[in-house]
Amino acid sequence: MSFAKPQATLRSVTGIPTGRLAIWWVLASEVVIFGGLLGSYLMHRIGHPEWADAAVHTNVWIGAFNTFVLLTSSFTAVLAHQAAETGDGKKAAKLLMLTIGGALTFLIVKSAEWTMEISHGYTITANTFWSFYYTAAGLHAMHVIAGAIIMGFVAFDAYRGRELQRVELIGIYWHFVDVVWIFLFPLLYIAK
Amino acid sequence: MADNHEHGDSHHVDYKKIYFTLLVLLIVSVVGPFFGVLWLTLLTAFGIAVVKANLVIQNFMHLRWEKRLMKWLLGASLLLMALFVAGVAPDVMNHEGDNWENLAAKAATERGIDGEVEGATVEGEPGEGVADAEQGEFSAQAAFNSVCAACHGQSGSGDGPAGAALDPAPADFNDPEFWAERDEQRIVTVIRDGAVAVGGSPLMVAWRGTYSEEQIQALAEYVMTFRPAGD
Repeated sequence: MSFAKPQATLRSVTGIPTGRLAIWWVLASEVVIFGGLLGSYLMHRIGHPEWADAAVHTNVWIGAFNTFVLLTSSFTAVLAHQAAETGDGKKAAKLLMLTIGGALTFLIVKSAEWTMEISHGYTITANTFWSFYYTAAGLHAMHVIAGAIIMGFVAFDAYRGRELQRVELIGIYWHFVDVVWIFLFPLLYIAK
Repeated sequence: MADNHEHGDSHHVDYKKIYFTLLVLLIVSVVGPFFGVLWLTLLTAFGIAVVKANLVIQNFMHLRWEKRLMKWLLGASLLLMALFVAGVAPDVMNHEGDNWENLAAKAATERGIDGEVEGATVEGEPGEGVADAEQGEFSAQAAFNSVCAACHGQSGSGDGPAGAALDPAPADFNDPEFWAERDEQRIVTVIRDGAVAVGGSPLMVAWRGTYSEEQIQALAEYVMTFRPAGD
């Protein structure tokens, strides 16, 4: 592989490759966004015991299945990174496509779940619990969609043996999306 | 790759082992609540979430091998988040303090959440709530006077007390111009789906969740009675 590209894409004064430094910066700001949202949810939930009556209507099995899907997609993403490290772009691309498959499965399950809930009258305006529910899971779903799209581009390049370092970068982002769900799952589905 | 992944091949993580550990932890967190013990549920739900997140962050995201700078960066943003939560939590989690009282939050807790949800649900016959509460026959005039009149006024002139501050002002049913382009079907649509359904003001909300189709028809017929004669 040749890296005939500007220095800035390869190194920085920190000794950390610029791309990786950048993705961690993005995630540091995401921590504040999701942390603020989930922290607010937690505070309200503790202040309003009556929310338990609304929380019983979320489906723990659907939530657990989607957790399984995201954990699996994280696994394929890290295997893609491993393949990219050995320079096997084709394998990395295939594993990234599997990860995208996980993202799509997650989104399909989520839309079926939301359709069911909305048809029962649990809309975003029903009460504050459902407002939080749709805002947090919706913001998370937007991250899943964005990640899947970007992963498509990265896989396209990786298949041709180009920009293999990006496989790790999109992977780091994807694991973060997984970590957010790891916390959303007990907050919205388990703690009733 | 070597120039870009100086930490690359040096760490030998058994990803498969981590993955299966994560799945086992997922099962534990789902099974936990079945025992019905509060502390166990909290431990299996949130304790395990922290363990799972840590496994992913350290092994999949490779934070273990990142430079210290990165850990400080993430630590700083976690700290900012914790500061926000710690600063706001006393006000949000309590509904009263030495010199203040959050009446809205107290009322919400008092009211409970079920009552609210049932108002929005489509299960059962729409309109049950209002009609049954008034016991017996649905009266369009009574419903108009108790609900619609708040904005539209009992005389239908759009001079109800709650309508005074609205922009655009509530419709004046006694105005011949109002009826120039309106018929009963349109009134039905607006009551049922809100004025936005015909490109009007969002302030006239949809009432289909409150009244049944027949009740909306009756309300529309009542509104038609305001129409000036000879028009």
